[in-house]
Amino acid sequence: MPEPTNTPTRSIIVCGSGLAASLTALSLARGLDETCGIIQVRGAAVPQEDVLYGNATDPASYNFLRRLGLDEPTLLLKSAASFSYGCHFRKWLSSHSWLQCHHAPFKTISGIPLFHHVTRASAALQPLLVSAQAALAGRFAHPPSDPGNALSQAEYGYQTDPCELTRLVDAQLANTHVRRLDADIRSIEAEGSRLTAIQLDTGETVTASLFIDASGPSRRAINSVGGRFNAERTIGAAKTTRATDQLGPPCREIETNALGWTSKAFLQNGEHVLHVGPADTAENPDAHFTVELGHLTNAWVGNCVAIGHAASVVEPLTPAPMIMLQRDIERLLELIPVLDDMTVEQKEFNRRFREDTAHITMFHDALLSGSDAPASSYWRDALSKPHNEKLERKITQFTNRGILTRYDLEPFNDEDWTIAHMGMGRVPSQYDRQVDRISKDETERNLTHMSETIKQLIPKMPPHHIYVAKLKQYLEKKNHV
Amino acid sequence: MSDTPPGNIKRIVIVGGGSAGWMTAAALSSLLPPDSVRVSLVESEQIGTIGVGEATIPDIIHFNAILGIPEAEFLKATNGTFKLGIKFVNWARQGEAYFHPFGVHGADMNGIDFHQFWLRYQQDNPASTIEDFSLSARAAAAGKFARPEANPRSVLSQLRYAYHFDATAYARYLRGYAETRGAQRIEGKVTQVHQHAETGDITRIELEDGSSVDGDLFFDCTGFRGLLINKTLGIDFKDWSHWLPCDTAQAVACESSGDPLPYTISTAKKAGWQWRIPTQHRTGNGHIYSSKLMSDDEAVQSLMDDLDGPAIGSPRKIAFQTGHRTKFWEKNCVAIGLSGGFLEPLESTSLFLIQEGISKFIALFPTARMPSVVRDEYNRMLEKKFEQVRDFIILHYKATERDDTPFWNYTRTMDVPDSLTRRIELFREAGRVFRYDDELFSKPSWIAVLLGQNIMPKSIDPIVSTVDRAKITHSLQSMQSAMGRAVDQMQSHRAFLDSLDSPAQTLSGNGR
Repeated sequence: MPEPTNTPTRSIIVCGSGLAASLTALSLARGLDETCGIIQVRGAAVPQEDVLYGNATDPASYNFLRRLGLDEPTLLLKSAASFSYGCHFRKWLSSHSWLQCHHAPFKTISGIPLFHHVTRASAALQPLLVSAQAALAGRFAHPPSDPGNALSQAEYGYQTDPCELTRLVDAQLANTHVRRLDADIRSIEAEGSRLTAIQLDTGETVTASLFIDASGPSRRAINSVGGRFNAERTIGAAKTTRATDQLGPPCREIETNALGWTSKAFLQNGEHVLHVGPADTAENPDAHFTVELGHLTNAWVGNCVAIGHAASVVEPLTPAPMIMLQRDIERLLELIPVLDDMTVEQKEFNRRFREDTAHITMFHDALLSGSDAPASSYWRDALSKPHNEKLERKITQFTNRGILTRYDLEPFNDEDWTIAHMGMGRVPSQYDRQVDRISKDETERNLTHMSETIKQLIPKMPPHHIYVAKLKQYLEKKNHV
Repeated sequence: MSDTPPGNIKRIVIVGGGSAGWMTAAALSSLLPPDSVRVSLVESEQIGTIGVGEATIPDIIHFNAILGIPEAEFLKATNGTFKLGIKFVNWARQGEAYFHPFGVHGADMNGIDFHQFWLRYQQDNPASTIEDFSLSARAAAAGKFARPEANPRSVLSQLRYAYHFDATAYARYLRGYAETRGAQRIEGKVTQVHQHAETGDITRIELEDGSSVDGDLFFDCTGFRGLLINKTLGIDFKDWSHWLPCDTAQAVACESSGDPLPYTISTAKKAGWQWRIPTQHRTGNGHIYSSKLMSDDEAVQSLMDDLDGPAIGSPRKIAFQTGHRTKFWEKNCVAIGLSGGFLEPLESTSLFLIQEGISKFIALFPTARMPSVVRDEYNRMLEKKFEQVRDFIILHYKATERDDTPFWNYTRTMDVPDSLTRRIELFREAGRVFRYDDELFSKPSWIAVLLGQNIMPKSIDPIVSTVDRAKITHSLQSMQSAMGRAVDQMQSHRAFLDSLDSPAQTLSGNGR
């Protein structure tokens, strides 16, 4: 096994042709100067599993994409993207319906968190969430900066199509110093835990000091250096698109069904429907492909870093797959190795990768718990996973008296957790006794005022399809793209 | 108390005064209506208090602001001065010094941390130090002070500050505050603590005069004794002395030798370090050392030799153990301050840890049942906080080049927590600094100490290589000039303190 040397990292090869590979290559091109050569080895086929990046992004995607040259006008004018206030879980596990919306930090009343007042008043949280109510009404407007306007509390991401997004990223890549090779990998050469070269079917051999495996679940590069994938369960998935006359609401919809679940996203070019169910083709004959959910033990092995589905695969129940992909790329950029000896960067990358994976999985595990699910193999497998200690603590603390336990750098914030807990019917058995400092009447007055303000605001907002159409007209006039 | 809903805590007893006791009493009395909850504090004039703190970090401003304490009134009552950071002398090497400022260095650009640009700049300008780009450090060096401005476009928005003050006077001030809001002070020495036969909860304490005080919830603010948390409830101590080997302090005040400095000085010595904390009318001094490697006599002599002015009184010895209780909250007892844990005041975190103990308790304010899930969460949060502070303090000892005494040879070569090793390695590799959620010390703090302790990154983050070198030089020189102009226009620290008596001064404070 060759010993790592202290020579500078001068070249990077990104393996893959899907969203993860293109986003990684573009991020590297934006972040590193031309003295670092970047090659993207693009296989003939985009991994079909890319649809599992889902059709939703979270609010943080705005800045992430903008930094890559994909600002909002580009997304709206050059793709079918639309806005997303969140995801509408309908009859989730048969009995729970709520809007898992993106929301600014909840306001406090007399310095006490909102939901303690909600708990004391036995009130519902959803009518107090402006982004939830707007999404349910199918209306959208950009949140204003004026904190006096209730809509300023809303946050939004996008409803997107991963394939379209890849196309947009590829267009940006054409103007960078990334050398793009349209070739399939014939073989990968490794010595111990270090990759040395990739032979392409064109006969060319490429070498680099750092290799990025963004090839999707095939994981060919990371497997060559001993990457170990921990599979939790296998699912079958199918994606269809149905053209519609009019753009739908600014939120996805997810519903439980007998086989598994179905997600509908409303983009400008129609409804994008994703069916997720069991892997067994006899039970789920319509599945287009199957994939193992899970994650690598270490996403960075030797001089190879796995990104996106090569590193972890999670169901697109929430924007989690896109969040994870974004975090993979940001983590890589923060830790681009300086020398061939990458042990320090590798250690930190893997630590944070494991934490991110655990935290994202934990949020999904919190959504996949209950007893009313249909009797099918998908649901049996999905609900059989025991809660780990961290999740158990979160649920216990919340249901006991509404305490939101936080772990380091979690991708889902307090608002996400509160909305999910309450959506899943987890109600604190007690409220924070500090609420007793103000009278019940005052609490009720405050909550009524909040919900009435939202109720009056919503009809004044334009329907999502009209807002997008007018915004596009405006942007086209201004030649934004 | 008839309006209190059933199941709520109605009687809170704080055992022990001092900073911990009276900060707790003040916070609770500001929050809880006296007709719903009775807050009593039991203290004895026979038992002295340890003046923890005196130097603070900017979070103290939030604490005072929450209580609604006007800054000028507070400074007057406590002989307080402003603090812009800490000067560390002889820590990395004998004869070297660096400044850990509050606030930031320079300005981040294109989402890249400022220090990365500085590292590139320093390659062409080897005489440059990162302190040249800290407004707090430059104001401190000039003996000047100004309050931060809210406008982020103003260079003054980069300032952060805390206070130096007389902790005993602070406790006295807070006592007045708490008593005005209904807290009851009971003079007496605790002779016995009674527990419930079945639950083990503390039910009442008996005093020397035969009287007793009963309660639903007890705060142990009895200092190192841990009368309730340890002596009654038997909670063990997690010892960190293998990482922080100092175990004794000798403290004495001396007369001021000039205008008060707007910063603390920490000077590394043969087997520990010495603090110098300027209040308005005197200077607080203390020598912290390892008693295994230095005798008390030698420590006292070293302390007295390095005073700025004539000593006021004789040095007072304080023995301590570094670490924390394995539980801060057990049954119906919460340990706040030294009874919960102790970390030497190298980064002025003593009062902050008290503040954290109080604020986390308030955030989790329990019912009288005090369920274990609430206690567990409190203990988890406090432990995490102590560990974060611990790592930052250990860094000063570990990252040293000193090899002149057995003490420094030990600390330089000792194993440190993995969490700290990781941070040092990442910084040494390419100047990378990561901050955890809810972490006390900011990136600039870590950077100041890492660089100050002579950990120079082997290389610069490759991301900076995309930025034009000339642009970096231009930007940094512009920042430096703007800071120079801002410092020139500031008042001297002394003049600023004097102007606080002026009615024109606003009484607001600005936090971190």
